[in-house]
Amino acid sequence: MIFEPVSLNISQVSCERDDRLLFHNLSFALRSGDILRVAGPNGAGKTTLLRMIAGLFEVQDGVITIDQEPLSERRHQVLYIGHKPQVSRDLTVIDNLKFLTGFDEPVVKQALIDVGLRGYHDSLVKELSQGQGRRCALARLWCSEAPIWILDEPYTALDVTMVETLDRKINAHVAQGGLCLFTTHQLPQSLNFETLELGRVD
Amino acid sequence: MSWRWFHQWGSPRWFYERAGRWQLVCGWLALILLVVGSLWGLGFAPVDYQQGNSYRIIYLHVPVAFLAQAMYAAMAVCAVVLFVWKMKLADVAMQAIAVTGLAFTVLSLVSGAVWGKPTWGTYWVWDARLTSMLILGFLYLGLIGLRAAIQDPDQAGKACGILVLVGVVNLPIIKYSVEWWNTLHQPASLKLTEKPTMPASMWMPLLVNILGYYIAAAYLVLGSMRAIVIGRERRASWVKELVGRA
Amino acid sequence: MSIEKRMLARELKLAAARPGDIFKPMWFLMLVISMVPLALSPDSVLLADIGSAMIWVATLLALLLNTEHLFQSDFSDGVLEQWLLLFLDRPLAWLVGLKLIVHWLFHVVPLICITPIAGLMLSVPTDVLIALLMTLVVATPALTCFSGLGAALTLGSSRSGILGVLVMMPLFVPVVILAAGVLIRATDGSEILPLMALLGAFSLVAATLVPIAVSAAIRLNIGGSN
Repeated sequence: MIFEPVSLNISQVSCERDDRLLFHNLSFALRSGDILRVAGPNGAGKTTLLRMIAGLFEVQDGVITIDQEPLSERRHQVLYIGHKPQVSRDLTVIDNLKFLTGFDEPVVKQALIDVGLRGYHDSLVKELSQGQGRRCALARLWCSEAPIWILDEPYTALDVTMVETLDRKINAHVAQGGLCLFTTHQLPQSLNFETLELGRVD
Repeated sequence: MSWRWFHQWGSPRWFYERAGRWQLVCGWLALILLVVGSLWGLGFAPVDYQQGNSYRIIYLHVPVAFLAQAMYAAMAVCAVVLFVWKMKLADVAMQAIAVTGLAFTVLSLVSGAVWGKPTWGTYWVWDARLTSMLILGFLYLGLIGLRAAIQDPDQAGKACGILVLVGVVNLPIIKYSVEWWNTLHQPASLKLTEKPTMPASMWMPLLVNILGYYIAAAYLVLGSMRAIVIGRERRASWVKELVGRA
Repeated sequence: MSIEKRMLARELKLAAARPGDIFKPMWFLMLVISMVPLALSPDSVLLADIGSAMIWVATLLALLLNTEHLFQSDFSDGVLEQWLLLFLDRPLAWLVGLKLIVHWLFHVVPLICITPIAGLMLSVPTDVLIALLMTLVVATPALTCFSGLGAALTLGSSRSGILGVLVMMPLFVPVVILAAGVLIRATDGSEILPLMALLGAFSLVAATLVPIAVSAAIRLNIGGSN
């Protein structure tokens, strides 16, 4: 599917947590086709920034808009996959995905095939390896209609094949007009991305 | 003009400096009132025909019990201010009042026990007021425990705010149900307070004491708030200066 | 698939996947009830006197201990935050309410079903037992909601232990007292309907309003977590 052009604007955003100022008056803008890597040392606020844009963490100072409209109006255009497992261990792979995506079996099964989990749909997540569990969580990307993707450490526990598959998917997504923000400690090889460095603010 | 005054309360530094002075005033006022009230009540008020001299504990018990409940209501006001105006000082007040309120609750329970011994021969009875006070103590403890369990001060403040608001709505229901429970089991309920027909020579020192303890509570809460403010703002330059100077 | 269908399907499957969560509270109840005659006396008259109250307290504890981790696994798996992101057309309080209803149906109702056996063991007379069951059915929805609030407030704070339980217990007092009132009337043989109506009204109001506070607490703790 081709996305309508979309823009994400972060304007003068500051954040303080646990008595630490993470970032101050941060501003940047992304539009269709952009891939941004948020980088920085541990504790620099990468996850907090991503969660702010996803709408989970309240923006204390500053404004985040999507196509000039406030974030709260456009949340359905954002897909967030955090660094936690994102799936319930006691349920099967397919039950998890049916819950998270709302799609029926055929669509979900195809997504599982795309992430290399063919045949695993009836397995309980707790029986899978960590990498397979991560694939299950990422399978949402193959069923999503949201143009803005926010991925926190998506490459964790993935093997080389899956990393390539994910990179291909992200590239295809931005080619269709989507945009993607992510953090990672492993530099992706096949993505054309910009980097935003968050440092420690004292 | 009044909005500017209101917004000044948003500044921890302004509060810290002013509160120091208010604390001094409150401290002296409370001391005077309590000394006068206590001496008057303990020494000079007439002897009660029913309970003899042991009734005099009401000069401690009643003000302290009344305050323990009033302080919970005060916390609820702080919670509303916190959620509506996002004023951090309201959260500081909530934190300070929780501990002081617990202290007053314990004091109320202990003084109630001290009263109970000569009056009813036992240190503890499950009468409506003592039982309500006990539950109030648990509510305070819950707030203190919840605040200690959450790391981020803003998050802790909001969580406590939710708990306080839920608690304050339930508090009258709890009090009413405990009173009703008491009448279920004790048809002739003995009340720990004197009937309203107390002679003036008895309730006047009581009034003085109530006022005194009220101001003493304010003194304690202000002091506690100042300490909390210093702790929370420890990275600010004005705090570093202050500490450096001391 | 509608949002409610997705939520309910998942909650049902989770309940089926964790049968221990259904049996352990029932087991706990039977253990506690067994302690009572051991701690007191095997005299059935004495036991009958306090039996219904003991069953109430034990059921309360079993309910509390089972509900305090209600949101914990979804929270640590990162699924709870997806509720906020995926189900934008529904208020969070409604979703919380759904979860609480399913929890009540699958984890509290089985507990209530065991209480007649406990009543038998403590020689509780039949009419009191029936009143006991009625009060439990009417009061436990409110208690479940309150326990859910305790669970939501302590989400994400590590090592909070049973803080969620401690924080909520004082709020149970009106319900416990009302239920006790019903049981006393039942023992005397007098009319219990007015009190039951009051209990039901309180429970209904709590079950409607408390999920709002629960959702506020969930939103707060998700925002504060990483």
